[in-house]
Amino acid sequence: MAAVEASTASGLALPPLSDEDAARSQDRSRVHDARHHRRRWRLLWLLVGPGILAMLGENDGPSMIAYASDGAQYGLGFFVPFIPLLFAMAYVCQEMCMRVGAVTHRGYGELVLQRLGPVWGWFGAGDLTLTNLVTLVAEFVSIRVGLAYFHLGAAIAVALGLALVLFTLSGGRYWRWERIVLGMALFNGLFLLAAILVKPDVAAVARSFDFSPFPGGSFNTLLLLLASTIGATVTPWMIFFQQSASADKGMTPRDIKHGRYDTAAGAVLAAIFGVGALVAGAALLTHNGSGIQGFAGAGFPEALRHVAGGAAGAVFALGLIEAGAVAILTICASTAYAAGECIGVSHSFNSSPRNAVLFYAANVSVALVAAAVILIPGAPLLSIALNANVLATVLLPVSLVLMVMLANDKGLMGPWVNKRSTNVIGISVIAFVGLCGAAYGIDSFLQTVHIIGS
Amino acid sequence: MKPTTQLIDDPHKGLALAEQDVYLGERAEDELIMHLERDQFVEKTSRPVPRAALSARATAALWALRVFVVLVSLMVLYTFIDQLH
Repeated sequence: MAAVEASTASGLALPPLSDEDAARSQDRSRVHDARHHRRRWRLLWLLVGPGILAMLGENDGPSMIAYASDGAQYGLGFFVPFIPLLFAMAYVCQEMCMRVGAVTHRGYGELVLQRLGPVWGWFGAGDLTLTNLVTLVAEFVSIRVGLAYFHLGAAIAVALGLALVLFTLSGGRYWRWERIVLGMALFNGLFLLAAILVKPDVAAVARSFDFSPFPGGSFNTLLLLLASTIGATVTPWMIFFQQSASADKGMTPRDIKHGRYDTAAGAVLAAIFGVGALVAGAALLTHNGSGIQGFAGAGFPEALRHVAGGAAGAVFALGLIEAGAVAILTICASTAYAAGECIGVSHSFNSSPRNAVLFYAANVSVALVAAAVILIPGAPLLSIALNANVLATVLLPVSLVLMVMLANDKGLMGPWVNKRSTNVIGISVIAFVGLCGAAYGIDSFLQTVHIIGS
Repeated sequence: MKPTTQLIDDPHKGLALAEQDVYLGERAEDELIMHLERDQFVEKTSRPVPRAALSARATAALWALRVFVVLVSLMVLYTFIDQLH
């Protein structure tokens, strides 16, 4: 670390300027310049990123498959309004992350560890690592499903995912990493294109905003449906990622307004694209969702090709590749941030690999482990992919409770603590997510041990 | 940059150029520092924040959360492993 002592004109000693500070300061100088010259659109362009990435990153392979499966099995009703509602809930949680990151300049993992104690800190990191590993396997599966449509195998999926991780890490700057992933994330719009290509009944889509018909089936099926759909929208990695990325980007309390725009834009885009996947999947409703199972084969895109034509199938397949690829990058980043924060070493894209060995190593190694799993012959990929969202939902309430505690911590947040209305909504979200996750976990367990029937 | 060679040929001017470089370097660094908040420096953020003093109610709630998470996680993992078979 090339540290140089500096001082202000008033004689007050400033901390040493590290390479990471210098890189972040260059980004901040552009923000200052845009703000000073009242270039509103440039300021917005400079400050968007973490919110859109968290939201579109969560529109990942398993999530889009979950939305499409909902559409294929239950049609548009209930889910068309439910998905935007979930993203509104996600906005409340993610806005808190952005605000805490901008005010404290610290990541979620280190704040929990230092402020609430090592038990919760390490629990959060362990929870994150477990759910991230499972989710990453599902992301590679999603790329594999997309590529299988074009008759390409698992090895290509692994090579593509790992090459992307290495490529995005090669710049040594947060700004470069963020802009590359942001550019890729916009292709999440392919799911909207897929929805248009299946030529849906627009009037039917508009009518479905009344939350009906409510999905049928057994109580456990309904709980699974709710838990997996919630898990497709709000997850622990998003909390770690957005707070750490906001701090790494160098956001300050002055940027909170733009951080809210960023998070809201991400939520709106993610909801639109998620509903796109649902509408595309609903095209299979009349076919009883046939052909969508079987992740080893082409699955969903192939089924769409039979129903809506080759273009719809190809666009959906490309969407799955994009969704998996972007999620791999953001989830690996969240794991790396958590590892660096909890161990207490450098954890920034603005640090060079030499200065942040653990951060870069965690980023690559978690992707390597997940990639290795999908190459294991006979690995239960379908089970892993389906359970990834459910596991995230069950473990999510802890992350949310700790986030609300941090956002209410006056010692940390000063005047930027949660308002009463934010707390009411936040606690309601936690209660809803906790109830759905716990009910599914308990009901499934009781069925497994044959205490209750299915 | 032709003048550079001529300046370095002259020891006084060469010294002036070196001083100017140092001055410009320091000024650029000051400008960089100006764009960061004081508590945004790595040196500041690497110092741990103090542990929060939690009320008895908050501590009890966190313990309840711990028990809840461990129990539900075990149930989900058991079900997941059972499904694998």
